[in-house]
Amino acid sequence: MRETDRGTLTTSQVAPSAVILMPAFNEADVIADVLMNIRAVCDLRVIVIDDASTDTTIAEATMCGATVIPLAARLGAWGATQTGLRYALKHGYEYVITMDADGQHEASSLPLVLRPVTEGNVDVTIGACIERGSLLRRIAWVMMKRTSGLRVQDITSGFRVYNRKAILELASWRATLLDYQDVGILLLLQAKGLKILDVQVDMQARRNGGSRIFYSWFAIIFYIFLTLILGASKRRMTPKNTDNMGS
Amino acid sequence: MMISITTAAIGLLIATIITVLIRRDALHAKHGFGWFAVALGFAFLGISPSVIDELASKLGIGYPPALAFTLALAVIVVKILTMDMERSRIEVRGERLIQRIGILETELTALTTRVTALESEDSP
Repeated sequence: MRETDRGTLTTSQVAPSAVILMPAFNEADVIADVLMNIRAVCDLRVIVIDDASTDTTIAEATMCGATVIPLAARLGAWGATQTGLRYALKHGYEYVITMDADGQHEASSLPLVLRPVTEGNVDVTIGACIERGSLLRRIAWVMMKRTSGLRVQDITSGFRVYNRKAILELASWRATLLDYQDVGILLLLQAKGLKILDVQVDMQARRNGGSRIFYSWFAIIFYIFLTLILGASKRRMTPKNTDNMGS
Repeated sequence: MMISITTAAIGLLIATIITVLIRRDALHAKHGFGWFAVALGFAFLGISPSVIDELASKLGIGYPPALAFTLALAVIVVKILTMDMERSRIEVRGERLIQRIGILETELTALTTRVTALESEDSP
C-alpha cells in the first residue's frame, strides 16, 4: 500500500478492503471535525458505533457520511468496538482500523499503522504514543505489563489495525467477556499466536473532556485492579516464546 | 432437643417456600434443585444432629457447631460463585444481543434507504 501524490489513501489501495471503526459516546461537539480530517486523507468507509449517546452524535456522524451503528444500551468503548468488528466480519472486511472519536488519533498516521498489517508482516498494529501518558497512566502501564508479561509499549491505545484473523478472534464470545480494549484483548491475541507490533505515532490532546476510563480515582483504582487480576490470571495462556511482539 | 426441632423446621420451611415459588413460576425449577438440597441438608441435620458431632470428632474439631457453620458458609460461597458465573453468561448474552440489534438496525436503515431511492426512481 502506498500513499498517493496527494497523500490520500484510496480504498482500492488498501487491498482488498478496510474499514475504520470509531466508538463514540457523546462526541457531538468534535465528531464532525474528526470525520472531516479522516475524509481529507483517505476514502475508507467510517463506521461510528454510537454507545447510546444522549446528544446529537448520531446526527452529526450521519451528516458527515459515516455509517452509524446505534446501540440500544451503553456497552463501553470495547463493547462498541466489538460491535463494529462483528459488523466488519459479517460484511467481509479484511482489515479494521479502530480510532477514538475524540480527535486524539491523527488520520495522517493511518498509512503508518496500516502498512505492516496490509503487507502481511504482522496481524495487529498499535499506534503507540507513550509520551501522552500522565504519571498515573505510566505507573498503571508498568504494573499491567509486569503482571501480564505483555511487551507492547502502549497497552491502552485505541488506535489499532486488525487483520481478518484478529477480527475473527475479537468478534468471539470470549472477547465479549472483556471490559476494556487493552490487556485482555492483547493477551487473547497473543495466546492465539497473532503477531502484534507497536508503531510510533503522534497523538493530539483530547478535544472533548477527559478519559472515559480514568475519569475518577475510584474508576482508576477499579480499572487497575481489574486489569491486574486479568493480566495475572491469563498470563499462563501466553506462550513462552514471546517473539510475536515487538516495536 | 430444641435445636433439632428448630433446624428440621427451618429445612421444611425452606422446602415449602421453594415449592410455592416454583408453583407460582417465580423460581425456575433448575434453580429450585439446589435449594431443595439445602433444605434437605437442614432437615437431615435437624433429625440427626449427632452426625455433625461424630464428623467433628473424627476431624479433630473440638467445637462441632464450628464445623456446621463452616460447611454452611462454604455452601453459600459456592452458590454465590455459581450465581456470578450465571450472571457473567447472561451479561455476555445481553451484550451480544444489543450488538446484534445495532448491526441489524444499521442494515435495515441501509435497505430502507435503498428501497426508497429505487421507488423514487420508478415513480414518474
